[in-house]
Amino acid sequence: MKTIGRWLAEHWIALGSPIVSLIVWEWASATGVLREAFFPRPSTVLAHLVQLAADGTLWAHTARSLVRIGWAFALAAVFGVGIGLAMGLWRRLRDGLDPVFAVIYPIPSVLYLPLVSFLVPPGEIALIVTTAVTSFFLIAFTTTHGVRQIDRLVVEAAVHYGARGPRLFAAVLLPGALPFIFTGLRLGLGFALIVVVAVEIVSASRGLGALLWLSWQILKVEDMYATFFVIALLGAVLSHGLAALRARLLPWVPDVAER
Amino acid sequence: MPGRSPKVVVNEVSVTFESHGRSVTALDRISLQAQVGEFLCVVGPSGCGKSTLLRVLAGLVDPTGGQVRIEAERPGTPLTAMVFQEHALLPWRTVRDNVTFGLENRGVARAEREARAREMLAMVGLTRFAQHHPHQLSGGMKQRVGIARALATDPEVLLMDEPLAALDAQTRTIMQEELLRIWAALGKTVVYVTHSLEEALLLGDRIVLLTAHPGRVSQVYPVDLGRPRGLEVRGSPAYGVLLERIWSQLREEVVRAMADDRSGDA
Repeated sequence: MKTIGRWLAEHWIALGSPIVSLIVWEWASATGVLREAFFPRPSTVLAHLVQLAADGTLWAHTARSLVRIGWAFALAAVFGVGIGLAMGLWRRLRDGLDPVFAVIYPIPSVLYLPLVSFLVPPGEIALIVTTAVTSFFLIAFTTTHGVRQIDRLVVEAAVHYGARGPRLFAAVLLPGALPFIFTGLRLGLGFALIVVVAVEIVSASRGLGALLWLSWQILKVEDMYATFFVIALLGAVLSHGLAALRARLLPWVPDVAER
Repeated sequence: MPGRSPKVVVNEVSVTFESHGRSVTALDRISLQAQVGEFLCVVGPSGCGKSTLLRVLAGLVDPTGGQVRIEAERPGTPLTAMVFQEHALLPWRTVRDNVTFGLENRGVARAEREARAREMLAMVGLTRFAQHHPHQLSGGMKQRVGIARALATDPEVLLMDEPLAALDAQTRTIMQEELLRIWAALGKTVVYVTHSLEEALLLGDRIVLLTAHPGRVSQVYPVDLGRPRGLEVRGSPAYGVLLERIWSQLREEVVRAMADDRSGDA
């Protein structure tokens, strides 16, 4: 009881601000300050959310998006960490790839969809590959930096104590880069969610992005807000899940910002 | 007490680095010896190549001229193990796994590694911290781990690169006494680099004074202050005389090195 009290005392602002916002919104829509046709009351949105969940629509779309995120993230993680490590270890590769990445990376991800559709079968695969692109770059960048920032003295000491070749990589370079790799994975996962929704809006008939866009086009505004809410929740859960995993797997990293 | 046979022989060793298209001579035909079981201190102004000399002995830097010989008495143990100035522990390994790291790389069986780590951690007084990570330890404790890691490999020669320089004055004093105790217990040959003359006088059997730009041997001083030696030695007249004698020489070298640095900047 005491710990809950202390927790509340510390987090009351973070906890209170969304609640207050919702109450103000509810009041504004109910009294006509906001047009209810465009800004339905949160309580109405909640009712629609329950409805969408009850008839299975929500689960089908969410599952579809999650599967896409899962594949895209796996692709981005495998290639991003692999190529990032290689770039961190070999200067020539880094010198060669850096300018190419610098040009490709800033292009908004959705624009890759037509390009990717020429290269791989259009449809589901093209959608997944497009979703993976930005995450890949983020993960590759942070992984490269992770290898490069390892204390040279630590590496020298490890070599002095007999670590060479694969052993040096597995016992020193990889664990040394892991905190940065995890940061990259967390960013990459967040971006996979953002991009998958964008790509679904553009080209899919299923998935959360598609549900959102369809709800908007047929002016089921309540459903649109309900989908908004689910996407936001999904983002928070994925990001915090990975952060918790990191704290569990990398106990040597001092808690700089426990969030 | 140090024996009469040489353990480390440095013969006319030179090291030249290429830096920005200019060649810099860090060590210029350095010759010195450490006897079996001797505690040899190397002192000199910054930039005299003290650390480079240790790295040559450790095999981390190849000399551009001359030879280094280390007499191996026990086959199967490493020639050298180094204690680094900034401890250079692996942050993701526990204290125990840092201590066993060198043994792991040499393929020593797990049970033996762990027994060895227990022994070494007991020696440096860190038994209770075996499962901690380095970031949970104080500076002095980290350096104890560094010492345990080096001793665990049972090297022929222990190399120490200003191991106490990063510690606060009180911790340093305690660690100096600890070092004396450990050295007396193990009888290892030690080559110890420091910029502190007081530290060298407290610990060393002999003191090698280096000059800077380029690094050369200026003088070698025997430290006839008896053993076992403790902090009380600092009150003895012989200590004061020796300190004064070496310092007047070292002072000259430091002033010259500073003048070199200034003209180098211009």
